[in-house]
Amino acid sequence: MTTLETSTPLTVESSGQPARRAASPGRVAFRQFLRSPSGVCGACLLIVIILGTAIGPVVYPVDPLDLVGGPFTPPSADAWLGTDYLGRDVLAGLIYGGRASLAVGAVAALITIAIGLTVGALAGFFGGAIDAALVKITEFFQILPPLLFAMVLVTLFGQKLTTITLAIGAVSWTSAARLTRAEFMRLRNLDFVKASRAAGAGDAYLMLRVLLPNALPPVIVSATLAIGVAILFEGGLSFLGLGDPNTMSWGLMLGQNRNYVLDAWWAVIFPGTAIFLAVLSISLVGDGVNDAINPRLRRRM
Amino acid sequence: MSIRRYLLLGAIGLFAICTTSHRSIAQTASSNAAVIATTQVPRHFNGAVQSGLATAMPSSQIFASPLRYDDNWNPQPYLAQSWDVAPDGLSVTLHLVKNAVFHDGQPVTSEDVAFSIMAIKANHPFQTMLAAVEKVDTPDPSTAVIRLSHPSPSLLLAMSPALMPILPKHVYGDGQDLKAHPANLKPIGSGPFKLTEYKQGEYYTLEKFDKFFMPGRPKLDKIVVRIVSDPNAALVSMERGDVNILPFVAGVRDIDRLQKASNIVVTDKGFAGVGPLNWLAFNTKKKPLDDVRVRQAIAYAANRDFIVGKLMSGKAAPATGPIAPGSPLEEKAVDSYKVDYAKAAELLDAAGYPKGADGSRFGLTIDYIPGADEQQRNVAEYLRSQLKRVGINLEVRAAPDFPTWAQRVSNYDFDLTRDTVFNWGDPVIGVNRTYLSSNIRKGIIWSNTQQYSNPKVDELLQAAAVETSPEKRKALYSEFQKIVVKDVPIYFINATPYYNAFSKGLGGLPTSIWGMMSPLDEVHWETPPKT
Repeated sequence: MTTLETSTPLTVESSGQPARRAASPGRVAFRQFLRSPSGVCGACLLIVIILGTAIGPVVYPVDPLDLVGGPFTPPSADAWLGTDYLGRDVLAGLIYGGRASLAVGAVAALITIAIGLTVGALAGFFGGAIDAALVKITEFFQILPPLLFAMVLVTLFGQKLTTITLAIGAVSWTSAARLTRAEFMRLRNLDFVKASRAAGAGDAYLMLRVLLPNALPPVIVSATLAIGVAILFEGGLSFLGLGDPNTMSWGLMLGQNRNYVLDAWWAVIFPGTAIFLAVLSISLVGDGVNDAINPRLRRRM
Repeated sequence: MSIRRYLLLGAIGLFAICTTSHRSIAQTASSNAAVIATTQVPRHFNGAVQSGLATAMPSSQIFASPLRYDDNWNPQPYLAQSWDVAPDGLSVTLHLVKNAVFHDGQPVTSEDVAFSIMAIKANHPFQTMLAAVEKVDTPDPSTAVIRLSHPSPSLLLAMSPALMPILPKHVYGDGQDLKAHPANLKPIGSGPFKLTEYKQGEYYTLEKFDKFFMPGRPKLDKIVVRIVSDPNAALVSMERGDVNILPFVAGVRDIDRLQKASNIVVTDKGFAGVGPLNWLAFNTKKKPLDDVRVRQAIAYAANRDFIVGKLMSGKAAPATGPIAPGSPLEEKAVDSYKVDYAKAAELLDAAGYPKGADGSRFGLTIDYIPGADEQQRNVAEYLRSQLKRVGINLEVRAAPDFPTWAQRVSNYDFDLTRDTVFNWGDPVIGVNRTYLSSNIRKGIIWSNTQQYSNPKVDELLQAAAVETSPEKRKALYSEFQKIVVKDVPIYFINATPYYNAFSKGLGGLPTSIWGMMSPLDEVHWETPPKT
């Protein structure tokens, strides 16, 4: 945030080099992203994980809910990563569970950003009574402890993967809303916005075409990080026994097998590692994106 | 002396008090006393108006009852030194011991027995237990005659310590509501131990009653019952020897751990009376489960052997019928539904549910009691994979808490559910409720929530309830069990693996049919624990 507030004078300063303006902002950001080693590492890791869950079922067609052997079979030629307390294949669980976990993360992050952008944009653009009301609502959601609130929602509406996804989205949109609101409030009084308005632009046009593109960069970073947070959230809910028992996910594997960690460490360590790597890679990518679209850092490099 | 010095002295004094009181609790392990740890929190100590393990354990120590039982279902004299059942079965005469007194010194008389029996009939949740009792006559202070409207062979089991505590009429007969009587928390009975201290939700102390009517008993001077909310903490205390008795252990892994400990003896004896059963219940009024062939097919696909052998690690006894293993009335010769996928498929085809193009026939849901994952959730998940083999898609419905599950099941909003139900000794007390068509009562959990109704079963249960000849009664119950197993309103899986753990060195262990819910007056240290 603080870095972005100084962006305007900085661009003015560097505007003396017209050659740099030739590339589109997206391509510049991408090139910048490639220069961040941690971001590239994260992206590679993430691609491997996504490919694994996408192609995995073709290569290893085992139903994660089926019993393939006796309970607590250690990793062996038959079950590469062993079986859990019922005799379900841990590797199949990782592959299919990864799909569910990543899907929950992505969809929950989308919900988070969608609600956050809408509320933040309306509040920041109109100000006054609308702003006051929306900020009050945001604050109401913000003071509820997110995990407890999500637990209540899941308990009320049933332990289904869709409910869990919606619940995660519903409890974590507040920071995105505040971020967007701050950006809109900062931008709406700048000269180019006033110029657009003077040229006859309506509210909708101003919000969507003028303000939104300029407010997006920090929101994109926050959205990337929200995916990781949502995956962790799903893991936390499952760990507390509030997962969807009919859909294998990494969190569910962890939550159900933790009682048997002394009998079958493999059923806990592998999904735990998977969550760790997925969240780590997403965070690294988020950092890389932040570096790439943050003008002050760009200049420093 | 300066103020500072006063404060210092005070602090030392406080420290001394803290350390001595700490020592007094620790000492109980070394003197002639035993420490019990339990996760069960008693609402109060009066078993006359409250069922359940939490109250029954202390209530059986504090209150004596007319009879007690050995480990082979034989009644033994207790407050009644002898008893006669009239040839027509319509009255039971109890001849009471003459030297029994309550903890406050008053003698136990037939008046107290009469008062208690009528109080239990009026207040105890098990309404069928004493339904036959009309009144109790008291011709003299040591004779009580129980008059019955019809013969009631289950009455003798109902006189067990866990079910028929004899209350002092001069304390509880003051006209106050018995369910909320103040003396329920400060009980006065005639049992081997008296309650001396209760710290709500933390611990209670039972001390030897010097004037207990059985000579030489109880053998322990003191029993401290620590209420531990975390089962794991109780387990660790048991392993370390801080706790001498850990009752009602049900976790397969916990049992395993205790069995491996060198200083602990673990036994599954002492639960025959409770008769806990784990089963899979069907909503027999809901399609497609209203077809007996569908229920039988599910039973053939379920594979009891795997559940008992693998999921329960062989710690549980397999159960094949509605009367728990260990009861003399259990009928072993019933169809055991040995796993047979071909037969299951055949039955489903015959019932008109052929496999669809995707290999599935229909979908069902399965519920389970939350909280005991090993006994409940794991089996539900296992059944999902098993039923998939025969084309039934089972969806596991988790319930966040017990009331949610009970609400669903008792309002018939379920297809299949896992359940744990106790037999409570005689079928009349704990079995009939599940199968009598007159007990299909919406909203009440552990009634006939399967909505199972078979006139022949109703008839058999009613006949057996009043049959005085033990042989004929057994024959009636065995026919009942064969019919129920064939009708499959419930697929019986196993006896809940309950175990009691004791420190090595303790003798006179409670291995009778009521186990820890019988008087612990014979428990003693053969080799006292090292201090």
